[in-house]
Amino acid sequence: MAREEGSGERKSFKLLGILDVGRIPCAREAVLHGAGGSVVAGLGHFLLTSRVKRSFDVGMAGFILTTLGSWFYCRYHNAKLRIQQRLLQDALQNKVIYEGTSVDPSRKTNRGPSESS
Amino acid sequence: MATPLQLGFQDAASPVMEELVHFHDHALMVVYLISSFVLYIIITLVMMKLTNKHAHDSQEIEIVWTVLPAIILIVVALPSLRILYLMDEINNPHLTVKAIGHQWYWSYEYTDYKDLSFDSYMTPTQDLTPGQFRLLEVDHRMVVPTESPIRVLITADDVIHSWTVPSMGVKMDAVPGRLNQTTFIPSRPGVYYGQCSEICGANHSFMPIVIEAVPLKHFEDWSTSMLEFT
Repeated sequence: MAREEGSGERKSFKLLGILDVGRIPCAREAVLHGAGGSVVAGLGHFLLTSRVKRSFDVGMAGFILTTLGSWFYCRYHNAKLRIQQRLLQDALQNKVIYEGTSVDPSRKTNRGPSESS
Repeated sequence: MATPLQLGFQDAASPVMEELVHFHDHALMVVYLISSFVLYIIITLVMMKLTNKHAHDSQEIEIVWTVLPAIILIVVALPSLRILYLMDEINNPHLTVKAIGHQWYWSYEYTDYKDLSFDSYMTPTQDLTPGQFRLLEVDHRMVVPTESPIRVLITADDVIHSWTVPSMGVKMDAVPGRLNQTTFIPSRPGVYYGQCSEICGANHSFMPIVIEAVPLKHFEDWSTSMLEFT
């Protein structure tokens, strides 16, 4: 069943009516970084050139590039974490199943030279 | 199950559905950025005072608006293809269940060990107990063990139906004279609802699918009790 709002999860907040930055992992951070990058790029360009319209264009480009960069960086690390969680879960399950048997992985690492026969 | 006015996916109950949700988030971010860019261009166009009546060809922008969409398509297509092939991986199912669509109910057969088969009719609204869900509950649920690959062979007895469980990321047509196969792995115990997804007559909306994922011990107890009952 889908989680209801206020049950401990972050509240839903949809940008442009489609992107739920409250619920999608990494979305909120990516958009905030993008907003910051947009302001820095646009303001910096304006201070250097005093061209208003072009500065807005640069700000928009900065928003898109910064959002994308932050998004890919965060999602990559998020995916690595999920894979590690899955491997850990499988290892814990296998440990419970195989503990004490001949195929117990921890038994093989504890073997010394006297057990070679 | 879905809640009223819900637009997004249900919570994922299988690894494949988790991956699908993950990919959907990625594609949605790309869509959001493109939409923001288009909105910005529209606002700029509306606010612009200058009109250039002598615009001619421009190599640079033509290259940009050819290469950039190609890059965007690749960024979206690669994860999509990854999931497509992930869904088709061979995974040695622990259990095979046959789901047969009829007008207007589903029947399930567990024939791996002994012949267990039963029909699954929707619980009429007037027979619901408090807390049960209208148009979703059935008299006999399809019970499966958790953390086990389940193969479902789907067919139909009369017209085309479609066996769907959104939280598992499963949808497969039930075609008379044809056997379709799909697999899923329930990640956690729970009750997962779906509805027939191919128009099949007057009561097409009233033949739901309910999967009850339970630990293996409970599944064994359930199958024993069902064999005694039938």
